[in-house]
Amino acid sequence: MSYENPPVPHEVNVSRESPLAQFLRLCAGIGLCIVIGSALLWVAGGWLARRIPYATEQAMVGSHVFGFDLLDAGAGGAPDATHARIEAYLAELASRLVARMDLPEGMVPTVHLADSDTPNAFATLGGHVIVTQGLYRRMPSENALALVLAHELGHLRARDPISAIGGGASIALLIAVLAGDGHALLPQLARLVTLGYSRAVERRADEAALAAVVSLYGHARGTDAVFRVLADHRAGPGQGPTLFSTHPADAARIARMRAAAAAAAGDAELTSLKIDADAD
Amino acid sequence: MEISNLEAIPGKTTVRHLGLVQGSTVRAKHAGRDILAGLKNIVGGELKAYTELLAESRDEATARMLAQAKAVGANAVVNVRFSTSNITAGAAEVMAYGTAVVVQ
Amino acid sequence: MEFLIQVGFFVALLAIGLVFGRIAEQRHFRELAQAERQLARILVFNERTPPPDEYRRTRLVTGSVVIAEDYFKRIAASLASLVGGRLGVYESLMDRGRREAIVRMKRDAQAIGATMVFNVRFETASLSEDHRRQALFSAEFLAYGTALVPASAIPTRPAMSESRLEARG
Repeated sequence: MSYENPPVPHEVNVSRESPLAQFLRLCAGIGLCIVIGSALLWVAGGWLARRIPYATEQAMVGSHVFGFDLLDAGAGGAPDATHARIEAYLAELASRLVARMDLPEGMVPTVHLADSDTPNAFATLGGHVIVTQGLYRRMPSENALALVLAHELGHLRARDPISAIGGGASIALLIAVLAGDGHALLPQLARLVTLGYSRAVERRADEAALAAVVSLYGHARGTDAVFRVLADHRAGPGQGPTLFSTHPADAARIARMRAAAAAAAGDAELTSLKIDADAD
Repeated sequence: MEISNLEAIPGKTTVRHLGLVQGSTVRAKHAGRDILAGLKNIVGGELKAYTELLAESRDEATARMLAQAKAVGANAVVNVRFSTSNITAGAAEVMAYGTAVVVQ
Repeated sequence: MEFLIQVGFFVALLAIGLVFGRIAEQRHFRELAQAERQLARILVFNERTPPPDEYRRTRLVTGSVVIAEDYFKRIAASLASLVGGRLGVYESLMDRGRREAIVRMKRDAQAIGATMVFNVRFETASLSEDHRRQALFSAEFLAYGTALVPASAIPTRPAMSESRLEARG
């Protein structure tokens, strides 16, 4: 009988995998789950929000124009009288488009003119559409302006702004449940309407807009000018919401617009803007 | 490889005592199991998921102990002891140790 | 901004925990290997029956150590707890603690001139009862057993503790 202690291999009791590698893999996996979960919540929340009756949306929002405060103040806007006249003109043009767009029952969009010089337009909660002076000033024809308005009305018709809020709210709710505090996120929610939409949503608004413009003028000539203007004056980040902002590289959208514009007869007449922004 | 928690393997003679060998592992139950167990806590009874988890851990700890025993040239481990200690609310360590021996 | 500072602080803690914790762990493993080589002539068994002859004295010997996790281990473990499975970061911690306890027990045995320790037992006690994970996890590892001093060895120093079991004739 002998007694001895040969050296034992201690390493069998420690898993070989590098802790850092395991940690990073876990982070990636959990991150992926969060992204997928958020995306699902976003879609579900958006889907539910679209089902909120428009009257309820309006009652909730009141006269507040979400996102308006995110625009830069814009020095040297048109004088008050001209401002009011342009706004009235925009409202009149919008009402002509609305008549051709089959909006949900009871939806009467309000168009606001913002002083910002950055060319921009967006639709927000409660049926509000905002157009900047910078955009108005740069539109070469009423046809182009009509396309922009109709695009935003298309978003309203599809209830895209409230859908974005609904998606955001459901994610904020999840964070509030998990972290116990969703307060800090609420102010960010209002921004969501203005962050931009997915390709599919933008394309749907484009199609609605094209149809309305063709119905109004009989052709789509002059509408492609919108993209030239926007390409020249791309709003930088942090300057608030931007028209067509989500996918600047979505060449397919632009190409379809151009094709529609080109399909119109070369001699189709362009309507000029009725109010000169620079006139006193 | 024979394992026993007796001092020796009955009917066999221990010819060499090769010292202490041990195996251990730390396992965490996952969040899903935790939630189910939380529900089960209301009514009591066996927490199957946890039973399995700890049984798996014990198997692994034993396997690791046997790996050490094999490496030192033993053909049996005697006087085996198990111990379980909780590490955090969701994780436990299971350990097995014994003396590696050569029996004939 | 405040959020960014918090995130930065968290990442910094994580990195410090990872780098320094890892360095300390590697060093500890090296020291353990060295100590185990030095103490290789003290034999340990967990059998209860000591060899029958030539041992004059027995004495209870113990070795214990408290080891805490680092911040990286803590975060990595709480992430891993979401999916379950092996917690490698704790396995190395437990292995270190237990080997250190044996090394210290062997030193205790060596000090009284023992050559063998029988009936070795382990105890592990988690010292952080805070289930909300506010505190870092720490645990005490204890190894104890009966040291056998051969008749030939003359005790070199007086008894280290009063936990003398029984002096055999």
